[in-house]
Amino acid sequence: MIRQGITVRHVDLAADHSGELASADQAALNIYWWGDLPLGMEPLSAAEMPEGRARLDLLAARFAAEQRLARDPALGAPLVAGAEGAPHRALTIRTAATARESWSWLRETAAPSTHSAADVAIIICTRNRLPDLAKCLAALRTQRSPAGEVIVVDNSSDGNASDLCAASTGIRYVHEPRPGLSHARNTGLSAATRGIVAFTDDDVTPHPGWTAELARAFADSDADAVTGLVLPIRLDTWAQRCFQMMMGGFGDRFVPVLFDRRFFAETQADGVHVWRIGAGANMAFRRSVFDRVGLFDTRLGAGASGCSEDSEIWYRILAVGGACLYEPRAVVFHDHRADWSSLEQQMRSYMRGHVSALVAQRDLFGHRGNVMRIFKQLPRYFVRTAIESVLHAAPDRRKLLRQEIFGWTSGLRYLISPGWRRRRPKLPATLSGTMPR
Amino acid sequence: MRFAIRDVELSQPLQAIDLAPEEVGIALIGRWQERLVGFRMVRAEGRRSISAEALTAIADEAFAMPVLTAIIEREQPRPPSRALPTLTLAICTKDRAVRLARLLATLVEVRDRSPFAATEILVIDNAPSDDSTREVAASHAGVRYVTEPKAGLNFARNTALANATGDLLAFLDDDVVVDRHYLEGLAAAWRSAPEAGGFTGLVLPYRLETEAQICFEERGGFGRGFARREFQATSFAFPLHPAGAGLLGAGCNMAFDRALLLQLGGFDDALDTGRPLPGGGDLDIFYRVLRAGRTMVYEPRYAVFHEHRETVEQLRHQYWTWGLGLMAFLVKSWRTDREWRPQHRALVRWWLLDQLKSVAGAAARLRPRDLRFRLAEFAGGIQGLFGEYDRSQRRVAAIRDRLS
Repeated sequence: MIRQGITVRHVDLAADHSGELASADQAALNIYWWGDLPLGMEPLSAAEMPEGRARLDLLAARFAAEQRLARDPALGAPLVAGAEGAPHRALTIRTAATARESWSWLRETAAPSTHSAADVAIIICTRNRLPDLAKCLAALRTQRSPAGEVIVVDNSSDGNASDLCAASTGIRYVHEPRPGLSHARNTGLSAATRGIVAFTDDDVTPHPGWTAELARAFADSDADAVTGLVLPIRLDTWAQRCFQMMMGGFGDRFVPVLFDRRFFAETQADGVHVWRIGAGANMAFRRSVFDRVGLFDTRLGAGASGCSEDSEIWYRILAVGGACLYEPRAVVFHDHRADWSSLEQQMRSYMRGHVSALVAQRDLFGHRGNVMRIFKQLPRYFVRTAIESVLHAAPDRRKLLRQEIFGWTSGLRYLISPGWRRRRPKLPATLSGTMPR
Repeated sequence: MRFAIRDVELSQPLQAIDLAPEEVGIALIGRWQERLVGFRMVRAEGRRSISAEALTAIADEAFAMPVLTAIIEREQPRPPSRALPTLTLAICTKDRAVRLARLLATLVEVRDRSPFAATEILVIDNAPSDDSTREVAASHAGVRYVTEPKAGLNFARNTALANATGDLLAFLDDDVVVDRHYLEGLAAAWRSAPEAGGFTGLVLPYRLETEAQICFEERGGFGRGFARREFQATSFAFPLHPAGAGLLGAGCNMAFDRALLLQLGGFDDALDTGRPLPGGGDLDIFYRVLRAGRTMVYEPRYAVFHEHRETVEQLRHQYWTWGLGLMAFLVKSWRTDREWRPQHRALVRWWLLDQLKSVAGAAARLRPRDLRFRLAEFAGGIQGLFGEYDRSQRRVAAIRDRLS
């Protein structure tokens, strides 16, 4: 089915769809909303569209139930994450029976945030992608609540984004010639002056409510970090469809989940499942948390080991007793890589970066689960995926799996390189106290 | 060895359940203010009674989310409901008067408060060997009785089609009884999609009193879940659909737009013939409805209770017929529907790999009974793949010649 083109189709369930939903000439990934509140997504074939009233009503009811469970304190919200980030639910029939007026509850809950984003600094790290950056900056100008500051960190060697940034008003431009996303992120952090720092990437278009929703999430919760939903902009090419539909994209959860000490303890045995917390394309922090846990590890991330500098910071936050909140109401749209070789490279570097972060986490805290993940869970995942790909006749999944295995193999070199492992970044004294010698 | 089946109203506090000595577990049919929301089997693990607290914990885990969804759905603004069409309820039966009587007792009761414009009950007596079926039909008011001398379920279904008067034609097997809200369920399904070509419903166990019945239900039974679903000619989630039409429901509880069935030429006599090819007929008609561009709707409130096979040997035979029926249906579709041949081929390939996987799984876990079931299904499939449809066509041609 994903051989053919797929349209990304946005359906607002709050609108009255009596008969006017367009039919489709190709399959679509339907993303369902209630106004500005994202509810869920589902791919449908052309024959399955347009959806009838009964189908939309049923979807709306199911989504409303999920939102109410995750957002109504009377029903046990917030949900705490467990294995693979899946929320624990403890709903009883007795409490379910107390839920009244759910549709007006949903209307109120879905109302866009009116919080000011004046205390939010946005940091965009970019490298040699001027057209993408221009689009991203344009989307930031249309934010309902403008961010207090927007910082572009140019990670190119020659600073080629400076003209573009000079031409846009209200952008602070910083050049960081040391290659590596972690360097760029750290430079952005030291330039930021606001209490909340939000990171996004140059290939991302934030939703107009993004900054206001981040501000609301930090105001309503004590979490040290907030992550949000990353949706695909388009699925025009085979590589984009594979990334979204086969590899899971950047996640598909539409309810808020709290990742805290309990989640850390529960999943520690096989490497804390921190990669389920979110994606670096849509993450924000209280700036003060970096005083407690240190800056991004410059050995990790794009331009260095490959990725996972984001999840490794979350690991440190959770390890010292902090919490991260996933709030899907803060939405950005990501332009997935269009060509197959970039996707293969991405899969390889994801896995290499993942292994490198596991090594770094093991070294920092001595948690054995990280090693278990490298030598037990990941090989098991490779075998399972290989069998599945034969069973479902998915040769391209096998190709990506090969890249993942390459990435894993090349990630092992970090494990056996004492030099790399000693080059641990400087950390605050508070954190050093928790470290093994 | 049996499971106590309990219908529980979840809006009331649950009471402790005492188990009889031969009962090894409970099967809960959960309802929220009468609406079916879930089914859950729990083994007693030696307990002689299940306390109210334990029962509440089980119910919370299994039913709380569907209850919340049901509550929210009921508050949803609804479009004005349409007037319902006329309905024929057809029961095809052969020499099973006792079971027919059991079904009619439940069916007459729901018919008498039917929301449909008109509701008739039609009994098709298939090649009867005595008068018992006729007598049972005659003992209920307003039950029409028709004989079909050619033995075979799909012969009987076609006779039902020829004799029915309702706009909507619902089929029931004689080994089911209907839920007390069966007709409201069918009405809800029709109102949600009046343009649909067909409807299927939930099939729950009627009793779980033998090892085979428990085993079948624990392996999933006929369960298709408690969420309404719609099926079209293609499905994104299931690339092999509708070649794998078994997802849609089961022949013991299905209904169709009668005009569409006539237009499609009715059921294929060479499938669902009773022995030796007692399967595939439901898959075939679902497939053809979808291929005609019409929707099929699965509605869990449109529910029946099915008497599962009693002995392990009968159950093994049933799995054998599933493999046989599926493959006979695929061979037929491959011949008649050239355009979708890649789908048929892909399904055969998937099925073979999947069967090998479950055979290997059962063997590796040293489960001899499971292994026999899987091998039976596999053997049935292989026989179905190699000429069974042709043999069946020759057999039904002979029956037709003999009786015309």
